[in-house]
Amino acid sequence: MQLDIINLILNPPPELIDAFFSYLVGLILVVIIVLLSKWQGIGVEDKLLIGTIRGTIQIILMALVLEIIFELKDMVLIFGLLTIMSIFAAHTAASNLDEIPGVMKATLPGITIGSLFVMFLCVILGIVEPVGEYIIPMGGMVIGNSMGLSSLALERMWSNAQKQRDLLETALALGASAYQALDLTIKESVKAGLLPNLNRYAALGIVTIPGLMSGMIIGGMLPVVAALYQVIVFPMIFLGSIINALISSRIFLGQMFNDRLQIMVPPLGE
Amino acid sequence: MTATTAHPLEMKQLSMSFDERIIFRDFSMALNHEETLGLTGPSGRGKSTILRIAINLIQPTSGEVLFQGENIQSYDPRELRRRMILVPQRASMFPGTVEENLLWGLKIHGIETTDKTLIEVLDEVELEARFLSKVAQTLSGGEQQRVSLARALLLEPEVLLLDEPTSALDEETQVAIEKTINTIIRERSISVLIVTHDKLQASRFTSRILDISDFGG
Repeated sequence: MQLDIINLILNPPPELIDAFFSYLVGLILVVIIVLLSKWQGIGVEDKLLIGTIRGTIQIILMALVLEIIFELKDMVLIFGLLTIMSIFAAHTAASNLDEIPGVMKATLPGITIGSLFVMFLCVILGIVEPVGEYIIPMGGMVIGNSMGLSSLALERMWSNAQKQRDLLETALALGASAYQALDLTIKESVKAGLLPNLNRYAALGIVTIPGLMSGMIIGGMLPVVAALYQVIVFPMIFLGSIINALISSRIFLGQMFNDRLQIMVPPLGE
Repeated sequence: MTATTAHPLEMKQLSMSFDERIIFRDFSMALNHEETLGLTGPSGRGKSTILRIAINLIQPTSGEVLFQGENIQSYDPRELRRRMILVPQRASMFPGTVEENLLWGLKIHGIETTDKTLIEVLDEVELEARFLSKVAQTLSGGEQQRVSLARALLLEPEVLLLDEPTSALDEETQVAIEKTINTIIRERSISVLIVTHDKLQASRFTSRILDISDFGG
């Protein structure tokens, strides 16, 4: 593989040169978003620039080892790899919410248990073929979406505890548990987190032609088989995301309240 | 756990500081059974803080709070806050109707009720039964304060803590709410600690009044 990489750099094939040029031109979009973010005060410039650099390196490294990963048949190795991906997802969710303490403690078990459980279930039930080629990309989609939902749910729980503090204190003053006091926020954020994928699910094949199916067809699979896999992956994403949200939000309550049910979230502006 | 001879609520040598600034120091009081006690003093001196300390929502810098003779730390906070309820200065309504708001407190404790009880408690805070189906967050400040009171009364607390119950309201509504609270105090066997910055108002509720300023506040 080392020789392949060196060879690829020393003698780049024409399609690599073309792709690299397209990539550089594509960075103009990133510049536009950074300028828009700065102008509108959205405040995602740093995260976007770091994400572009980090994402490029990560995806190229992944591309270089993808063939080996896809040929994996050892379940321990495959699920080991999914665990590493989950840890990385949990860390990414936490680092994007760096102003909120204790996120990693909640996202790590949430994403890992939710995603691995769904993939394990799918393999046991024979929904997904037990090879890396299927488990890793589908698992990646489940993990990626769980990461998104975790970030949304935990950020909403934290910011609601700041912005709707009076309501939260009212709930606690009536004797609510931490979960009861934030029940509505948790449910709303799970719903909001699932909504983009529910839209894609409903518009499948008409508005959205998803990547997994496209990749499988390009890889030589029968289009109908690829389409069926694409449909299956959505319930996998939903189940993984919901299990993850339930686990991570429950654990995160432990960061927001102490055992006397006192709010540990500082008021807005502190 | 309950000692009938003990004060429903007692505070011993409570002190509170924020960022090294002393808010109050060595505050002590004892609330008797079925008594209404007023706590007055200027704004920002920690009156509301005392109420929040009482239900263990925040921690004092030092001192001790006893509920029915037992340190509040020995209670499950959920049980403590069901038996001693704080009605906050600004009534906060949960999303949904007045009925859903009234049932909220009961539901979290697994307590069943009847429509008759809901209507009776609404009547007690001088709201008509038709309010049950109204969206709570669209009510006026005075109406929300009444719903907030009714929500607390439904849980039949042994101690009611009222934090500036009329300060966010216009003068006319203030008088009406005062009248409602006085009726509740008179008709229910309940111990009440009422916080207000207005000494005159405190005297309309009770003759026993403490001033937070006497405790370095």
